[in-house]
Amino acid sequence: MPVFLRLSWIFLEIYEVTETEEMNTLNTLAFLVFPYLAITTCVVGHLYRYLSDPYGWNTRSSELLEKKGLKFAATIFHWGIIFTLLGHGAGLLVPQKFWDAMGMDSQTHTVFATYSGLVVGSAALLGLTLLLFRRLTKDRILATTTLNDFVTIGLLFFVVATGTANVVISLYEHFDILTTVAPWLRGIVTFTPDPTLMLRVPLRFKLHILGVLTLTGFWPFSRLVHVWSIPLTYIFRRWIIFRKREAVL
Amino acid sequence: MKIKAQIGMVLNLDKCIGCHTCSIPCKNVWTNRTGAEYIWFNNVETKPGIGYPKKWENQTIHKGGWKMDAKLRLRAGGQPSKLLKIFHNPDLPAIDEYYEPWTYNYDKLISTAQKKHQPSTRPQSLITGKPIRLRWGPNWEDDLAGVSETGTGDVNFNNLDYQVYLQFKKVFMFYLPRLCEHCLNPACVASCPSGALYKREEDGIVLVDQERCRGWRYCVSGCPYKKVYFNWETGRSEKCIFCYPRIEAGMTSLCAETCVGKIRYVGVILYDADKIAMTASTEKEQELYPAQARMFLDPTDPAVVAEAISQGIPQSYIEAAQQSPVYKLAVDWQLAFPLHPEFRTLPMVWYIPPLSPLVQFFDESVADVHDPEVMRIPLTYLANLLTAGDREPVRMALRRLMALRSYMRSRRLEGKADAHVLEKVGMTEEMAQGIYRLLAIAKYKDRFVIPTTKKETEVDLYRGQGAAGFDSH
Repeated sequence: MPVFLRLSWIFLEIYEVTETEEMNTLNTLAFLVFPYLAITTCVVGHLYRYLSDPYGWNTRSSELLEKKGLKFAATIFHWGIIFTLLGHGAGLLVPQKFWDAMGMDSQTHTVFATYSGLVVGSAALLGLTLLLFRRLTKDRILATTTLNDFVTIGLLFFVVATGTANVVISLYEHFDILTTVAPWLRGIVTFTPDPTLMLRVPLRFKLHILGVLTLTGFWPFSRLVHVWSIPLTYIFRRWIIFRKREAVL
Repeated sequence: MKIKAQIGMVLNLDKCIGCHTCSIPCKNVWTNRTGAEYIWFNNVETKPGIGYPKKWENQTIHKGGWKMDAKLRLRAGGQPSKLLKIFHNPDLPAIDEYYEPWTYNYDKLISTAQKKHQPSTRPQSLITGKPIRLRWGPNWEDDLAGVSETGTGDVNFNNLDYQVYLQFKKVFMFYLPRLCEHCLNPACVASCPSGALYKREEDGIVLVDQERCRGWRYCVSGCPYKKVYFNWETGRSEKCIFCYPRIEAGMTSLCAETCVGKIRYVGVILYDADKIAMTASTEKEQELYPAQARMFLDPTDPAVVAEAISQGIPQSYIEAAQQSPVYKLAVDWQLAFPLHPEFRTLPMVWYIPPLSPLVQFFDESVADVHDPEVMRIPLTYLANLLTAGDREPVRMALRRLMALRSYMRSRRLEGKADAHVLEKVGMTEEMAQGIYRLLAIAKYKDRFVIPTTKKETEVDLYRGQGAAGFDSH
């Protein structure tokens, strides 16, 4: 997956030196081509990983090796990131029309999103920082960390840090994402993309989005696959499971 | 009635010499991989002691197994509470509770330049490669090493003054080889959020599906015997597999096969699976052992045999159950008991309690020299280990073992059999002969009565070669 890291890096590099006519092309590459490339890699990658590596599909928990440093950090990170994701879903994927109908105008929406995002985003960032610190300072954890783990936590850190920073900056410098980023994202997921919506979006949001897209492409090849195995069926399952001996294929 | 077959084991603690030979082939075959170095599917502990991982028996610390309040519940909490705590399992023992695996830089011993002193080598961690201090292990308290300090944490001293028994003159010990209990009501299976652990329909062996394990770690903390382990390299749980590839071929497990004292017995038990929940929910802890024994079906009863056949139990399993040394020791002769039945998992590895020297032999106040009350190992301690504190069944088993010795002595040395000593403990001469044969002579085919897997379920084994077992990635 270095291809992904590289691609996003190239986008950023060129972005800095060009501001005029090439911008449209680059913008299309970054916010039309790249998203679908990332999503395709994510979907196909997950299929490939699930079928080819059933043994590796797990959390790769390090709690056994180091327990104390995990308690607060892992808990606050996971809950923080879960609520952050839910917030993104409600704020970006659900059209403002719906919230208007529910009696929440875009101004209230923005204020609510900013402050709730600040809380859950900071929680995730704090947890992630502590987890990264733990990973680098605890001998056993460092010794059992793979390059893949570092890339994963690095990307996560970039995404959460830029996201949280954006919220903080928004407190002083308002930019309306409900009419730009949100419809762009809905366009992507409904296959009616319009990259021009991203033209006037500040760089700080673009960085966050490109980070997310890179993470999306890398996802199936990392330990993050455990997210899809969230064991909700446990609630309805009977306690004791009997299984007939399976025939060897 | 739902009849199921279960492979069970009985260990005769009276004959265990604590040589650890059982642990070695198990280690060499199943857990000699990176990430599994600290994992011992079979280990031998010295009792009294707190064992491996530390204090595994103390469920106020480890929260393993089941408990009864209005109904049967996992001690660590039900599904919602588990899902809420899934990011950090508070009850998971850290690796230091077992031990950090280590090796030595042996090369240094032969490659060091000649010096005045012999070269030495320090233990280095197999995880980090750095030098470490050794602080615990799977047999750390071997032969009571350090038990004057750790013994106070042994929960089997419940209702006993441990200080008395940790004095040099009063001290006692015996060995406790431990492996997965392949329980009828396994808490590890119930604890797994992914449903990766299961009991095999055919023989009741409890396994972790390595392709479905997602590493949520609740099986490790859920097992009250701490016999499910987390492989830190693969991120999945592993446990004793009762050497199922051997069992399927009609051979016994490696630990039982290699036991130099021939203390292990492996056989089939038929039981009524409809009674699992009811039995595990038995109100009084001390009633759990007899209740579990009542679940076992008499394989010689024609009604049971007919029902078993109609439910599809293979003939080979029924025949094996009829010859089962486990059934004889547990039910017919009532010499074997489950380990900590109060965990409510209905364990299927049972133990014959050890005899020990009579400490008041020449005291005239002792009327009955066959009274286990005057043995060196306190009866209460054994009862806490095997029958949730009920002394009577353990007392009777020990009395029977004593009576058997008297009877055999009378036959061999005095030339005339003294059946009187047997009658007092409810034994017949025929029964004594049977026990003697199984405990003392113990031919291989008598100790291990294992049916091969039903052929009809078999497919091309050649094609499956190399497709089963553990992979590191």
